[in-house]
Amino acid sequence: MEKLVSAKTCLKFVQMMPSVPQAASSGLGILAPALQNMLQMQQVRHRQTKHWKPEFKRLRKQKFVKIELPNFREKPEDISKEEMRSRMKERGVLPPRPWMERPFHISCTGGIFEPYVPPEGDGKKSIISSTGAKQKLEFLEKKSKSMLAVRKIRSYDEAFSSDQFGAEAQEIYVAAHTQMAAKDKYKIREFVSERCYPEMMHNVKDKTIHWRFLQSLEPPRVVHARCTEVITKENQFAQVTVRFHTQQMLAIYDRFGRLMHGSEILTKDVLEYVVFEKHISNEYGKWRLHDKIIPDWLPAKQPSPITYRFIEDVEEEPPKELSAGDEAKQLEASSEQPKEQLQLASAPERSSKPTLAI
Amino acid sequence: MHKVIRQMSQLRLQAVPSSTLLKTTASSIPPATHHSLHTAAGAGGALCANWNKHNFGPRKWLVYNKTVHPPQQPEEEPRKAYVCHMRNNIKYSPDKMWYIAAFVRGMSVDEALKQLNFVLKKGATDVKETILEAQEMAVQRHNVEYKSNLWIAESFVGKGRVFKGMRRHARGRFGQVEYKHCHYFVRLEEGQPPQHYYQEPQTPEQQYEHWLEQMRSRKVINSL
Repeated sequence: MEKLVSAKTCLKFVQMMPSVPQAASSGLGILAPALQNMLQMQQVRHRQTKHWKPEFKRLRKQKFVKIELPNFREKPEDISKEEMRSRMKERGVLPPRPWMERPFHISCTGGIFEPYVPPEGDGKKSIISSTGAKQKLEFLEKKSKSMLAVRKIRSYDEAFSSDQFGAEAQEIYVAAHTQMAAKDKYKIREFVSERCYPEMMHNVKDKTIHWRFLQSLEPPRVVHARCTEVITKENQFAQVTVRFHTQQMLAIYDRFGRLMHGSEILTKDVLEYVVFEKHISNEYGKWRLHDKIIPDWLPAKQPSPITYRFIEDVEEEPPKELSAGDEAKQLEASSEQPKEQLQLASAPERSSKPTLAI
Repeated sequence: MHKVIRQMSQLRLQAVPSSTLLKTTASSIPPATHHSLHTAAGAGGALCANWNKHNFGPRKWLVYNKTVHPPQQPEEEPRKAYVCHMRNNIKYSPDKMWYIAAFVRGMSVDEALKQLNFVLKKGATDVKETILEAQEMAVQRHNVEYKSNLWIAESFVGKGRVFKGMRRHARGRFGQVEYKHCHYFVRLEEGQPPQHYYQEPQTPEQQYEHWLEQMRSRKVINSL
């Protein structure tokens, strides 16, 4: 009761002199935290974690036999070189032999050499116009080179004919895409070169792809052929570009079976320039899908209808000497959430490189 | 080629005893500073074979992230996305971690992150970081559109590696100390959290109905 009364009086005191609450609380021993609570309207923790005999702390500590516990959360990249060395020395482990060899694969080339440039609007330009004439001239020039390449291919592979190759190429094309949709990573290797494989299979994981080849609108035809040698003169590779004008259906579902892209009922006309490659000096070489030519004039792809966060590159400012007032200001500023921008379907799809040019 | 490999492996085998020899010689000359009674921890550390045999930690939880569900029809309700994530071997007691894990269960992600800031326990930071990682994973890899539209569908703790130590008692006795580790598992699901994560609280009438049902449906053996 006495305490209560004193608290009341103290409250009165504080009410009377609101400008000096500090002085009031300092003068009131036991009641200080409670009073501060009232004043600040904030909770104060009183944890009783202190031992009642602090002078024997060291002796109590000695009761426990110290053991070395391994740090499981340690990441190998966080350990410094010297630290690693000392640990290996301690355990008598020899450092790993440096691996100097590099895997080198030459059953396919690393890209397209002298790629075919598809005519803008696919040959809709008149020959009379300057650009059209230029195109025609270039086309003729390249055609002679293509003829030479075809002759070279025929010297290795007698059965090759550029007229019949279109149908063969279509079979390979369809087989490769069907295997991709089926996610069969072993069978797809027969129809796809090693360069193309990661591009086709990278984003397929966790997704369900429904792809159908409906029909060919124009018969596929060979538009370009080239041969090149790798390392030695006898090691010859041939690349043939085939123009496909087809109708296809594509629907991509995510891991949970929700439609991400395309549609089951929509058919699309697809015009593609697909590069096929063969290791012609290899007796058992096969024509395989190598790449697709995506021309510069192609309009941007339709983005997937999803909202995502647009992360801007934040420029780091050099630290400045700040006075107390400025510091507080900066703290306030930093506590604010970084400005996020939500862009609604304005940028292209998240996949870095398209596997299907549709 | 095979020959070369075999020779190399033989060389390796020869090299190993020499290294162990070195190690034994090193340990036979005990340094003056080395006075820990526990030998296993000092000698091998985390790489010690005694601790690493057949001990892979939790392996099933993250495999759920690889499940691919069949495509849905357009008229069906879209399936909710989910992400499983975990953090293993946290140096904290699983018994203490349970309180934190049970605390965030059934909360939305934003709410959980907010609340965890004020949990004054060591494990709370690990739980918070795990949830943040899972949230990022969901947005980046699992086609979740809004990162706030997630709730904690599952949150539980597993027992990790336990190291045993000693402590001295009076009169030459000793006791065992357990240095525990734990694993924390979390599953985030898309959507809003349910009103009641556990069973819905029942009104007295409902409870009475339930009791009555139980009473009426019981079987009295050897009765009429």
